[in-house]
Amino acid sequence: MNVDQLAEQLRSDPLFMKNVVRWDIIPARQAQYADFPEGLDERLRPVLAKRGVHQLYSHQAHAVREVLAGQDVVVVTPTASGKTMCYNLPVLSSILANEDARALYLFPTKALSADQVSELYELIEEMGVDIKTFTYDGDTPGAARRAVRQAGHIVVTNPDMLHSGILPHHTKWVKLFENLKYIVIDEIHTYRGVFGSNLANVLRRLLRLCDFYGSRPQFILCSATIANPKELAEALTGRSVHMVDDNGAPMGARHFVFYNPPVINKQLGIRKGVIPEARNITSMLLKNGIQTITFARSRLTVEVLTKYLKDLVRDPLGNAGRVRGYRGGYLPTERREIERGLRAGQIDAVVSTNALELGIDIGALDACVLCGYPGTIASAWQQAGRAGRRKGTSIVFFVASSAAIDQYIVSHPDYFLHQSPENALLNPDNLYILLSHFKCAAFELPFEDGDRFGNAPGTDELLAYLDDAGILRHVDGRYHWSAEDFPATQISLRSAAAEENFLIIDISDPQKHRVIGEMDRFTVPMLLHENAIYMHEAQQYQVEKLDFDACKAFIRRVDVGYYTDANLNVSLSLLDIEREDERAGVHRGLGEVRVSTLVTMFKKIKFDTHENLGFGHVRLPETDMHTTAMWWTLPDALAAQYDSDTLKNGMLGVTNLLRIVAPLSLMCAPQDVAVLYQVKSPITDKPTIILYDNCPGGVGLAHKAYGMQALLLDQALQVVQDCTCPFGCPSCAGPIGEISMTGKKTALELLQALTRD
Amino acid sequence: MNLRDKLKAIERPKVKATPVDPPPVQQFTDCWHGYEHYPLRDFPGALDVQRETVMLMQGEDMPLCLDPRRILYLDTETTGLMGGAGTVAFEVGLGWLTDEGFHVHQLIMRDYPEEKFLLQTIVDTAANFDVICTFNGKTFDLPLLRNRFIMNRIRTDCLEKPHIDLLHIARRVWKLRLRKCNLTNLEEALLGIPRVNDLPGAMVPERFFNYLKSGDFSQFDDVLEHNAQDIASLCVLLSHMCRMYEHPDQLRFDEDVYSMGVALDRFKHTEEARRCYRLAGGSMHAQGQQRLAVSYRRGGDRAEAAKIWLGMIRRREGGVMPYVELAKYYEHTEKDASAALDMVRQAISVMSEPSLFDDASVQETRNALQYRYERLKRKLGQDEKT
Repeated sequence: MNVDQLAEQLRSDPLFMKNVVRWDIIPARQAQYADFPEGLDERLRPVLAKRGVHQLYSHQAHAVREVLAGQDVVVVTPTASGKTMCYNLPVLSSILANEDARALYLFPTKALSADQVSELYELIEEMGVDIKTFTYDGDTPGAARRAVRQAGHIVVTNPDMLHSGILPHHTKWVKLFENLKYIVIDEIHTYRGVFGSNLANVLRRLLRLCDFYGSRPQFILCSATIANPKELAEALTGRSVHMVDDNGAPMGARHFVFYNPPVINKQLGIRKGVIPEARNITSMLLKNGIQTITFARSRLTVEVLTKYLKDLVRDPLGNAGRVRGYRGGYLPTERREIERGLRAGQIDAVVSTNALELGIDIGALDACVLCGYPGTIASAWQQAGRAGRRKGTSIVFFVASSAAIDQYIVSHPDYFLHQSPENALLNPDNLYILLSHFKCAAFELPFEDGDRFGNAPGTDELLAYLDDAGILRHVDGRYHWSAEDFPATQISLRSAAAEENFLIIDISDPQKHRVIGEMDRFTVPMLLHENAIYMHEAQQYQVEKLDFDACKAFIRRVDVGYYTDANLNVSLSLLDIEREDERAGVHRGLGEVRVSTLVTMFKKIKFDTHENLGFGHVRLPETDMHTTAMWWTLPDALAAQYDSDTLKNGMLGVTNLLRIVAPLSLMCAPQDVAVLYQVKSPITDKPTIILYDNCPGGVGLAHKAYGMQALLLDQALQVVQDCTCPFGCPSCAGPIGEISMTGKKTALELLQALTRD
Repeated sequence: MNLRDKLKAIERPKVKATPVDPPPVQQFTDCWHGYEHYPLRDFPGALDVQRETVMLMQGEDMPLCLDPRRILYLDTETTGLMGGAGTVAFEVGLGWLTDEGFHVHQLIMRDYPEEKFLLQTIVDTAANFDVICTFNGKTFDLPLLRNRFIMNRIRTDCLEKPHIDLLHIARRVWKLRLRKCNLTNLEEALLGIPRVNDLPGAMVPERFFNYLKSGDFSQFDDVLEHNAQDIASLCVLLSHMCRMYEHPDQLRFDEDVYSMGVALDRFKHTEEARRCYRLAGGSMHAQGQQRLAVSYRRGGDRAEAAKIWLGMIRRREGGVMPYVELAKYYEHTEKDASAALDMVRQAISVMSEPSLFDDASVQETRNALQYRYERLKRKLGQDEKT
């Protein structure tokens, strides 16, 4: 059955349709073409013609024209719109015209770079010219590195390698830096938060070195659809950037189905689970031979779904292999194999975390199932974009979970379909990040008195501080690196703290211990604590030993009927108050805090029924984070109206409501912002609700929330007022089991009091 | 909180920074220069270094007329061991021979602004020499100096000369026996001279930083001594190594003479390599003979190779390998399948002797032999039919 037939059949199935909240069809879009811009090297056109490209899409021509005119450009287009041409054409053209010219390509992951190089190779090979394109990353063999440094016209790498492998050794890359004409950065929407703030500083360092070597490269950036691509591009590069967003690529028709699982307990507002529902829809697609990608929110869900689906198609012929899981933590070779299988059509269904959201080439699939809202509108569109070919119909199912944000989206489909997606926020001047990169920059090239570091503020103070600390030496008008260390190795771009990943080692076979994956230090306490059940490719393992110092987790294959879920404890202390105000008795503050997190226990949860089977203790060190927070303090008179339990449950209700509305108003991912309450806060000594940036140093979310005055509280009040449940449900103040019978009422009263003028 | 306090709050420095004295030198007009002179008698044979011998030791081309007095010995002491653009060579030692003796010229930058004078001195000195000789300079000292030249916008041409890197030569010849080929080990093993009170390399960088903080020049005392010793050692070792290459028969250890053969082979000095293989005795005899046979086979002299393998069988050397080699020889060169089969039979019987160390590779060899055996049987059968 093809997608059109399946859609027809589903629409005439009342059992299915009663859960469908909305069924939109986005009509097919015709291609918009434009002529080749003047000034492209004439050797390019015949090669493109051979590949069937006789005209450019309008956005491609627009981008190429602007680049050739010397502009820094950001191209904003959806998945599969041929954006690579926007940079490959001007880059190849300039190298054809001047064989000394160089270009640097940055992709967020190694997998993406590998894809890109193969595509470039094809173009170059067909032209029969000598343009050397090399990937330079951790996998590049030592012997090949010298050739890349000397002769690579196009060097393809990732921000991490640029940061620790190229910039600190810039003297070995003289040819590149002296002749650097273009810096291409793809998928810039992934550079938000800490990663983006780091990259912006890496680029400040890069441009500083280009300046030393006398080059002034142009930027060509590409982004998926977000609300502020131009602002993001400008924050990353520190330059004013021309935006190209007139997408001219064709697209087949697309069905968009909003599916809300039926309510099974009206009293508690509990719906049928999102995982079984997503499983059913994926199974149906699988049975009809429609190639499908299912996105799940967590690694755990990926494993659970993969196991269900594998069991469904398992037969003696090895058909279980037609269903694969895909997520971070699988080894690169395994991932490449899955990607190849998808392109070749040997894999019918893949269940993935957002790892496959990026432009990794897996071809276009017919159907996409979102098992729960991925957290941001931009992500949801990226994931949905995995289904959809230039010709032919595709179908996307959004299956809502009981989570409040999912329920909000499914009951306001227009919000999703028409609202502009999120802002990508970053804060290049986050002091933690800035300070680290100042060290790297000084290592790479001494600062002279009066030098600036991009548009970073406080250069003089930072340099003076590092001089005092004995890390730099100020002499004769210059700041020289004056320490034995190699500062770049102390920073990881992807987390604010520089920490090593943990290796996950399978010790089931005593003869042969096997590394099956790795995990970052912050996730380890949650998923790899001792006795945790860890899942990999739907196989269960139990963590036998976690060696925190050696960064190793030893796991053994098991087969048990439950999985584990760790509890995270958070405590908080104030470092510095930046701003405070008081309005109608409500005190608000903004400042810097230290957040300490600790995993102390975990629950064992039975598959299928999700019953709690018991718990265990976890003994692991606390992790500290220094970040920005804002808080509301309850007036004494208000707090005095309640006994302590009632107050606690009410504050928990408010916290839950803020967790729902904050990501929507701040336009960030739910995990980027944290909300918690303290009955007697160490900050204010009073009952306080705190919202903080969930990354070291912060990326500006708490600042943004502080600036919104009472807006967040107003919205939280709106949600709780509009909800029809009697005593609280997961879509508003929280389930009764969590906030008790009084929680919703108290939360409503607290919010009313806090927002009263 | 102002920016300064915030910085202090988030950094939590590991060591409390000590207040820094004003720089010991305020006017930067030159770097520090030191000179040492050693009598020629401490460098036996140093003036006899021959181009031909140096060419035996490594693949790199040398000037047509190699004058031992035009070799510049160079060694640096640096502010870090990890390299990168921020690592500086704060001390550079340059040494050379004259008819009177060995001269060492040492340079120290007492603060960063003196670096340009130090580098310029290297440029000026290097102009008088044809060859650079270092210990691990190919991967460490020269790339680091190139960095420094680029950072100071000075051309790097002065470093682009034929280069003798003694570490690479030493590794090829002595690694098998000494395992660790650092300068101290080589001095002890080859020259019989121990180092006393030598400054460990890992402690060198902190001497520079200590000096910057204290202005106490005595911090450099043992750095300078260590460096001067290194430089002088380079010259002694080079001539010593040359003598060994010229007289492999005087090498006392079979491992060394065997390794020298392998090293000579690598640079296609076939005759010299065979000489070493023949000299390799004791525990290295079998390996030497095997290499020798392979060398003849590669040179097309299969009969000579066969003779060696027969000799090895006679002396029960090399396990199953000479049998297999001879089987190939009889089959393909002599076209004598039955002699080949006979060799395979003997090989199988050698293999069948039980060994404690049987592993996967033994089984592989057995399988290969069996396969060869069956193939030869078939071949013989066909020959009989025709």
